[in-house]
Amino acid sequence: MLTYRPGATVLHRLDPRGKLLVQFGLAIAVVAHPTVPWLAGTTLLGLVALAAARLSPLTVVRAYWVVFAVLAVAPLLAGVALGPPWFRVDPALRSLRLVARVVPVLFASAASLRTTSVRETRAAVQRLVPGKAGQLLGVGMALVVRLFPLVLADVREVRDAIRARGGQRRPAWERARLLVVRSLERTLGRSDRLGVALRARCFAWNPTLPPLTLERRDYPVLVLGVALALSPLV
Amino acid sequence: MSQQYSSVELIGDETVRHFTMAVLLAALTAALSQISIPLPGTLPPFSLQPFGMFFAGLLLGPLWGGLALALYLLVGIAGVPVFSNGNAGLGYVLVGQGTGGFLVGFLVGTVVAGAVVHRGTTPRDRRTVSVPVQVTGLVAALVVVYAIGVPWLSAVTGLPLTRAAAVMAPFVPFDLLKLGIAVAIVEGGYLAVR
Repeated sequence: MLTYRPGATVLHRLDPRGKLLVQFGLAIAVVAHPTVPWLAGTTLLGLVALAAARLSPLTVVRAYWVVFAVLAVAPLLAGVALGPPWFRVDPALRSLRLVARVVPVLFASAASLRTTSVRETRAAVQRLVPGKAGQLLGVGMALVVRLFPLVLADVREVRDAIRARGGQRRPAWERARLLVVRSLERTLGRSDRLGVALRARCFAWNPTLPPLTLERRDYPVLVLGVALALSPLV
Repeated sequence: MSQQYSSVELIGDETVRHFTMAVLLAALTAALSQISIPLPGTLPPFSLQPFGMFFAGLLLGPLWGGLALALYLLVGIAGVPVFSNGNAGLGYVLVGQGTGGFLVGFLVGTVVAGAVVHRGTTPRDRRTVSVPVQVTGLVAALVVVYAIGVPWLSAVTGLPLTRAAAVMAPFVPFDLLKLGIAVAIVEGGYLAVR
């Protein structure tokens, strides 16, 4: 699984807003130009990003292997025909070319994942979305990150409890209902307790944030992101 | 180090209540995305992911339900493995596996379901909303999810639209069953009244 690792690479030192912008720009560029030169260029860019993050492409392929396996089926599905010749090469090749666009985007995304902490992304979101909406998104992200393992443990516990009582002999819909009801109950209980805890700690609209500054090295990244995003207009 | 000494602007009790529920429903959506119930034979596993959208729309309305699903997506984009199979990252939402449209569809679907059920941004007491209205809201949400997800899948994989729809069609009856379960849970007295 790809997760953030602290480090001192160039990508670690870049501003998270620039990295987000490049990923969006790259996705727009590959969707707008499904041609071989663009594909080669963007894949090269993805590989450069991985190298800058000191991340091997093989690690990325291994981490996203389910994604790649599912996508590999698409060209086969696109080529299958319901009569002779049973398999047509042209639609399959077209699909393959489109599916290949996923590679640079996932590479860039993996490089960003490895080098950007959740805290930095949170700060970026909070800076990019103005006003109270941005604050709620920022605080909410931090809380979800903290609470996700607890809620996941709750759901797994409920599932194991149902299984321990021979629940697998019941029909699937009933198991789903039991699992979801108990999980939702516990989740709503946690929500009530979190609400009390936040109010007890004077949950406010104006807390102090970690500083984010754009430095000289961030500007080329921002320019690259904007250029990729605007590339369909050229 | 500079310090701020301006007065503290506290967040209102009602807002805190809706906010914490949105946070926890985002975490629940993430948790349910990791769990599925295996079905006999060659049927696809019974994924529990759509329940997050259903409950966020039914319990929180368009604004706070939308916040719940937005938080789920943002946390995944920030790198926490909250999408199905423990995936994460902006790339996974935008292009990965072609199913990113369904993730975005969940967000839009929640807003649509919440708007139909609550008819405004403030969540109203769900005991005043009739079952047909709740079902209509959730069906509208599912329509939105597929209306966004299928063309997105087609665009990413290059499959013709009809073939992409055929790939996703087997999931529709399961989603309708989940919809029924969600309404039954909310309406059937399984939950303590909140």
